[in-house]
Amino acid sequence: MSLAVEIEFRLNGVVRRATVPVDMSALVMLRDVLGLTGTKYGCGEGECGACTVLVDGASVNSCLMFAVDCDGREVTTIEGLAGDARAERLRRAFAEFGAVQCGFCTPGMVIQASRILAQHPHPDRATIQRGLEGNLCRCTGYKKIIDAVEAAAEPG
Amino acid sequence: MKVIERETLIGKRIPKLDAPEKASGKTRYIDDIDVPGQLWGKILRSTRVHARIKRIDVSKARRLPGVHVVITAADVPDQHPIGVNKDHPALKGDKVRCIRDEIAAVAADSAAIADEAVRLIEVEYEDLPVVVDPEASLAAGAPVINEKHADNVAMRFDYAHGDVVQGEAESDVVIEDSFKLHYVTHCCMGVSGVIAEFDASGNLLLHSNTQVPFLHKREFADLLGMDPGRIRIVQPPIGGGFGSKLDIYPFEIIAVYLARAAQRPVKLVYTRAEEFLASPTRQPVILKLRSGCRKDGTLTFRSVETLHDNGAYTSWGATTPFVMMQTFSSLYRVPHCKYHTTVAYTNNPYAGSFRGYGNLQATFAVDSHMDKLAEAIGMDPLAFRLKNAQAPGEVTGQGMVFRSCGFRDCLTTAAERSGFLAQHIRNRAAQRAPGAVKRGVGMASMLHVGGGAKIYPSDGCGTILKIDDFAHVTLMTGASEIGQGSETVLAQLVCEELGLPMSAVTVVNNDTDITPWDVGVHASRTTFIAGNSAIGAARIAKAKILGAAAKKTGIAESELDLVGGFVVRAATGEAIVELAKLLRGLHFSDKAELVMTSYYYEPPSVHQDKGFKGDVSAAYAWATQVVEVEVDCDTGIVKMTKVTGAHDVGRVINRLGIEGQIEGGVVMGQGYALTENLLIEDGRVRNPSFRDYKLVTAPEIPEMDLAFIETMDGEGPQGAKGVGEAPAICIAAATANAIYNATGVRIYELPFTPEKVYRALKGVAPQVAWRTRTEPHASS
Amino acid sequence: MTALERYAAPRALGEALELLRDGDVTIVAGGTDVMPQSHSGKVTFGRTLLNVRRIPELAAIELEGDTVRIGALTTITALLESVLVRERLPILAEAADHFASEQVRNGATVGGNICNASPAGDMLVPLIVLDATVELAAKPNGSVETRSMPLQAFLTGPGRTRRAAHELLTAVRVPLPPRGFVSRFYKYGTRPALDIAAILIGLGGVQRDGRMESVRVVFGAVAPTPIRGAATERALEGRPLDAATIEAAAEAAHDEVRPISDVRASAWYRQEMVRNMTRRLLADVARG
Repeated sequence: MSLAVEIEFRLNGVVRRATVPVDMSALVMLRDVLGLTGTKYGCGEGECGACTVLVDGASVNSCLMFAVDCDGREVTTIEGLAGDARAERLRRAFAEFGAVQCGFCTPGMVIQASRILAQHPHPDRATIQRGLEGNLCRCTGYKKIIDAVEAAAEPG
Repeated sequence: MKVIERETLIGKRIPKLDAPEKASGKTRYIDDIDVPGQLWGKILRSTRVHARIKRIDVSKARRLPGVHVVITAADVPDQHPIGVNKDHPALKGDKVRCIRDEIAAVAADSAAIADEAVRLIEVEYEDLPVVVDPEASLAAGAPVINEKHADNVAMRFDYAHGDVVQGEAESDVVIEDSFKLHYVTHCCMGVSGVIAEFDASGNLLLHSNTQVPFLHKREFADLLGMDPGRIRIVQPPIGGGFGSKLDIYPFEIIAVYLARAAQRPVKLVYTRAEEFLASPTRQPVILKLRSGCRKDGTLTFRSVETLHDNGAYTSWGATTPFVMMQTFSSLYRVPHCKYHTTVAYTNNPYAGSFRGYGNLQATFAVDSHMDKLAEAIGMDPLAFRLKNAQAPGEVTGQGMVFRSCGFRDCLTTAAERSGFLAQHIRNRAAQRAPGAVKRGVGMASMLHVGGGAKIYPSDGCGTILKIDDFAHVTLMTGASEIGQGSETVLAQLVCEELGLPMSAVTVVNNDTDITPWDVGVHASRTTFIAGNSAIGAARIAKAKILGAAAKKTGIAESELDLVGGFVVRAATGEAIVELAKLLRGLHFSDKAELVMTSYYYEPPSVHQDKGFKGDVSAAYAWATQVVEVEVDCDTGIVKMTKVTGAHDVGRVINRLGIEGQIEGGVVMGQGYALTENLLIEDGRVRNPSFRDYKLVTAPEIPEMDLAFIETMDGEGPQGAKGVGEAPAICIAAATANAIYNATGVRIYELPFTPEKVYRALKGVAPQVAWRTRTEPHASS
Repeated sequence: MTALERYAAPRALGEALELLRDGDVTIVAGGTDVMPQSHSGKVTFGRTLLNVRRIPELAAIELEGDTVRIGALTTITALLESVLVRERLPILAEAADHFASEQVRNGATVGGNICNASPAGDMLVPLIVLDATVELAAKPNGSVETRSMPLQAFLTGPGRTRRAAHELLTAVRVPLPPRGFVSRFYKYGTRPALDIAAILIGLGGVQRDGRMESVRVVFGAVAPTPIRGAATERALEGRPLDAATIEAAAEAAHDEVRPISDVRASAWYRQEMVRNMTRRLLADVARG
């Protein structure tokens, strides 16, 4: 029986309490304990980016993070970006520019793209490509994802 | 008078119907689905490559709290083998033959408990000699790997048209080379998974990502001794297919056995490492190609021998010769062709079907030779290809009838847009210039079926269509959506027929209890076949609607049309009646009629005869790709800077979707050519992770310039042909030619990793020897 | 199943050191190494999992006179974004820019990268070029004691360091390079980042009148730990950086490394790359 720890943190804007095994990853906590399936298991070892979430505003691979380390922090998953204006521009652009095929990588891409745009309001394509280097996609060849992120940059 | 503007949907950029849901994280893939009462399944796999199983002790696992059932082969004495050779039992009881082999399985209250239980199962093995070289397995006295085939031969293929002896006699140049094609794997971003549940009456519901649900249904019925009518397959949204889900594999059967034994639903999902290990690969091939031509540039013959490593059990990889033959016999005009494949069992993991299905391997050889032959007779690579490229109306030696054929246009378009010839000459001149980075440009073409492939008794697809009182259409199609955008294209075709907006259609395509039969998503057939099926159903509906409108208004049916949600006068666009209103009028009347139609489309192709000859597809598709590279001669790193592609697609239906398919296919081809390599040594997978199996990442993609050649195929829906596999097929061949253009060195073995290229440049690469074991690299 | 009995996430260094004194502790910060290694079996948890990520003293990058003190909890992103690092220690910023992906950079720490002691550790090579020393803290007898040693001495083998079980790596210190210092970093790979390097090269030295002095050459991924290229340094020290010197240095580099063959590259190829890329880096320095 694994040691269980109680944590409290802000998840998608709402304070949550959870009791998690100490060796559980944040990814498994989000999906299996808290029922948020938008964040995906792609590899479990920080290579594919499908599990990307925001923690205290920065993007991280939730599969590499210990769930207990969420304590006292602010975590945002793809579900939590539902009302976010930048994410909404990204979602529309992803659809309009054909950046979604099977869609499995898409939540991680949207989260990471939101961070690229937060840091670079009008990024050039090379910046977008570097920003997405930790997000693998097997369907699109990335081009339309880059198009979509470019188009979703702030107007003006 | 209200006039409705006609606005076609064909050729437009139509966003994918499910994109908003996917971008919000709301889509539930197989791993996101839990069913009430489910248990978690986990498989124990062999730790030996080839061994007798002396003892399996599951007692500790059975006693672990939370474990419901543990099964081994002994618990399913009725199991019978699967696969095209019926040589593959789901659970192995007497012997393990490769590192994937499933020995036992557990169903437990949680994934963690199932994992722990699997670790508690004890297996005693007695090692047997390991055979990992297909040539060694064919040698006399080799250990028998699969008892059904004592000579270790899984399959043989022989094909010929013309007489290659005569062809060789007519040649001015004859060249012969051996090529070696490697293991790569699909790497779908969503790992494999399945949920199996029996209801209270013993009916089976399978939540499966299979690409062939109706064939799957029949397979499971056979396996379980059940009436197929009591098996239902529901397909959750898939995290990628690419051909990985075209066969029946042990993990799904095992999940069913667990569910049956535990009397509870069982969910079984792979880890990523397990996905690398257990998911089928692309077929590795060693081939020897002998080609000839006259000095005027006409091809004379191709003679091919290949050795396929079947692995321990036979899956679709063994049947890639069906496709490879087509390339050798019919890619460019070849009067004489001879083809042979021997498929040999080994203790390696087995190969399945993967986007292109052998065509990448064959085209690599063919288009490498096209460049070599051209150079030998002093002709430029474009002129040589144009001389041998077929034109519309030609019939190949294998009996393929090229009705719509944009081959020559593909060649000239790709060459013009890329400035191919000027670059080629410039790069060649610069080979000896100072500087470590050399530029190269290379060209290759591909031929693939574009109108289905009649390999099953039927290559058809059924559609059921209903239109409700508000002119909302429900399109029920047998064709699955695997992320390629079929649901959007089918909706688009129906909306075009019925003059409705995309928002007016709901597509149902994922439940075998609801949708009519389709053979499956393979062979780039879905747009063509399911498209024609959908159009057929829509046209019947349209005829019914216009007939009713004619009766109601007195205007002749032939003078009416459906545009913008209205019945209109075809000539002027004058609105006659809103469609929804007409439908309600039809419904709530004395005659009380609903519009419900159905249509089954069988393409007019034929089955091949025993000599593999016949017009196996209703249409064929071509592409030419020009690949530009920079080779850093100090490291061997090859950077793919640009790909110019010209694709004969018949007609562009969804411009956004088709671009996405091609861009994705190009990058998949880039990975096959340069970076991806599943390292299997002594039967074990050495790099089962993204850390060491290198997929192409966003910063590495080339610039892509895509041109579409619209040859308006007479049979295709709106003139379209299939394109799903095409873009991945000739990238590696073009890259080989580009590296040669840059450096003067030709490499016959994939992938072109930096070390392999560097060794070749330094002249220390091992020769690819036909039928001789090449030295194992630590990496390449 | 783990033997974990206790989890602690102290907010003070003293508290963390007291927990460490009890022994059988697994330390975690960002988790980017510990988490995957716990799955692969490379790491088995001790009795205590000690999360040090909330200790404020460990997070800062500060200039102390002519030394830059980089707290162990400094993330790779923070390193990349630090103006001080970019301007005064550019080789560190360059290595940080080639580290995995942004998601990993946001979680991974300098202290973690050092203590993971991978033969191919991205940050280790530039830190040794810069003559870094590590600071270790412990509380053996009630008060906090620290000791320092050169980073190169700290690393003893793959995954092995001189950190005692009751010690915590608290910072790494780097002297500000002298005027005229030039440095170069090379990480072999086909991608900008996200690769475990087949080879790493770091070089630094003071460039004066076309000569290189106080040369430091460090190779990574060619030995159990990053190593100084003593023969390469000798071939460069005090000599004019002309084609002949560069060629001799490149050959010396090739000859003095003894890499292994593994799934990423063969030994022969690694040696070739060491030669070719040492030559390329030096030619780049010579061009100015």
